[in-house]
Amino acid sequence: MAAMLKCVMSGSQVKVFGKAVQALSRISDEFWLDPSKKGLALRCVNSSRSAYGCVLFSPVFFQHYQWSALVKMSENELDTTLHLKCKLGMKSILPIFRCLNSLERNIEKCRIFTRSDKCKVVIQFFYRHGIKRTHNICFQESQPLQVIFDKNVCTNTLMIQPRLLADAIVLFTSSQEEVTLAVTPLNFCLKSSNEESMDLSNAVHSEMFVGSDEFDFFQIGMDTEITFCFKELKGILTFSEATHAPISIYFDFPGKPLALSIDDMLVEANFILATLADEQSRASSPQSLCLSQKRKRSDLIEKKAGKNVTGQALECISKKAAPRRLYPKETLTNISALENCGSPAMKRVDGDVSEVSESSVSNTEEVPGSLCLRKFSCMFFGAVSSDQQEHFNHPFDSLARASDSEEDMNNGSFSIF
Amino acid sequence: MKFRAKIVDGACLNHFTRISNMIAKLAKTCTLRISPDKLNFILCDKLANGGVSMWCELEQENFFNEFQMEGVSAENNEIYLELTSENLSRALKTAQNARALKIKLTNKHFPCLTVSVELLSMSSSSRIVTHDIPIKVIPRKLWKDLQEPVVPDPDVSIYLPVLKTMKSVVEKMKNISNHLVIEANLDGELNLKIETELVCVTTHFKDLGNPPLDVVFKCIPIILASESTHEDRNVEHMAEVHIDIRKLLQFLAGQQVNPTKALCNIVNNKMVHFDLLHEDVSLQYFIPALS
Repeated sequence: MAAMLKCVMSGSQVKVFGKAVQALSRISDEFWLDPSKKGLALRCVNSSRSAYGCVLFSPVFFQHYQWSALVKMSENELDTTLHLKCKLGMKSILPIFRCLNSLERNIEKCRIFTRSDKCKVVIQFFYRHGIKRTHNICFQESQPLQVIFDKNVCTNTLMIQPRLLADAIVLFTSSQEEVTLAVTPLNFCLKSSNEESMDLSNAVHSEMFVGSDEFDFFQIGMDTEITFCFKELKGILTFSEATHAPISIYFDFPGKPLALSIDDMLVEANFILATLADEQSRASSPQSLCLSQKRKRSDLIEKKAGKNVTGQALECISKKAAPRRLYPKETLTNISALENCGSPAMKRVDGDVSEVSESSVSNTEEVPGSLCLRKFSCMFFGAVSSDQQEHFNHPFDSLARASDSEEDMNNGSFSIF
Repeated sequence: MKFRAKIVDGACLNHFTRISNMIAKLAKTCTLRISPDKLNFILCDKLANGGVSMWCELEQENFFNEFQMEGVSAENNEIYLELTSENLSRALKTAQNARALKIKLTNKHFPCLTVSVELLSMSSSSRIVTHDIPIKVIPRKLWKDLQEPVVPDPDVSIYLPVLKTMKSVVEKMKNISNHLVIEANLDGELNLKIETELVCVTTHFKDLGNPPLDVVFKCIPIILASESTHEDRNVEHMAEVHIDIRKLLQFLAGQQVNPTKALCNIVNNKMVHFDLLHEDVSLQYFIPALS
């Protein structure tokens, strides 16, 4: 039995699915189809590893949902489970999910299934009068990436109606690269990033102040100002048009990623965006967040020169995070651009075949690439664990806080999106 | 130098926004002249603009319920600012359902025109939106180039047809040639002509009407030399000017709403002057002849 996916959707479900694909296309040109017991996840990450999107459709979202993974028996009784490793290009998929409103009206059913023997995904639309439209898309075998990020420990949490975000977004032009979110316990302000407007003397600086009573939920632990990419913010807004659920925003201090989430029981969307680190925190020694010890390598990592190296751990630099080290020998790195991740080193830890990237980039190294990318802290990634059983049992346990002891690490697991 | 003004009336705000949109379509960069009674949007006829010039004037009291300004000096109680027109129109566009709009001159790192809007929202607290539009203050020595252009003595003065119709005709003609001839006579006839080796296209507008002389020259007293009064000439004689069609198209594209009054003055082979009135805002646009 090969790893496979098979699912069936109605017209209105296709619209939501199509919106998810459109939203993810704002982040990247490719995405992974990752079916599991939790449902079908669409995941993508941008080329500079500063934005990650995941839309998880629960099994009950579909009219029919079926998936399987390949279980490989090995001599030493360590079975490994191989999940579907399917990466698709947006260029192939977006045209299929165009005109979502007319798809919603006209199709009776949509079937998506994989053919692992031919590395193809088949998407079929069934219309009235026996008309059927079939698309065969080749996929690349590629291990999906997940981001490990715990929303529950964020100091600041907001919940807003999508309308509010849409109103704020019209203030800025499409040429605006970065926006800054500034909050105090009483109010909220979205404004064009100061750094950008200083450089271009012709740029308009815009701000919108919104009172806390316009929010469904407004909990601010400390005054914060964080800056992130504007384009990716628009991505989640696209998706919010499909559901009517509010958007939750989780964030901390500058440098730590920001999460935008929509959860309407059937579908859960998470967009994790890197934020600009403070000047001070970049100068100080970087510290890593832990790697989940349960992460196991299931198979070879595909290395594509300079791009989308999967299974690699990139560390998030945060000045104020308590040092939490899992592997005493792990080197701390300051990776701020993909170019530096060119040659990861293999490292065996605790008997598991884990892969940890090492990069010799120092704090002060000048990284090629745009000004914007250079300064963003990367997010933290792990390969999708081959054995996800334990994750299913504790899907949203929060990370044990501020402890150096390895025992604590073994008990908890991260929230994995 | 100081400037602060406030609009609270919704209709005034919408009108001001429409004017600003029009200016943004007519001129990428323009000069805003602030004086105690008026606001002017000015484009002077530099080579960079292709010789096109524009003069737009509005009475401040028709828009603002608060208006305070202090010019460069007591004798020169005016302010001349250069700005990117689109920045202002975009800022005003976000003020759709505003309770109030304030504009003031500020200096935040560099001189700005700050547009601040108080928006109505669902909850008790309002939303405040602020836009800092960077501007350049124009020094007094350059003011002489930015004065109201002299309306030339036209050979023909005629009311324009519906601008939307004119625009769709000119748009199609643009695909054929960049060289357009506008001609008109005192019998209410206006023609737009395009000519290439292969084809010649003319659109005829009839019964447009010609304004009387006092409308053409407004209140400026004119001493007409008796030999060149219009009555002597054949009313069917066409005055013409050859212009770049793209400039005409840009002018027409800026007119989203049909104006209250629209007329055009042609100086034979020299230039065409468009004189429009949008409710209480006057717009003059000059397109020179192709050399």
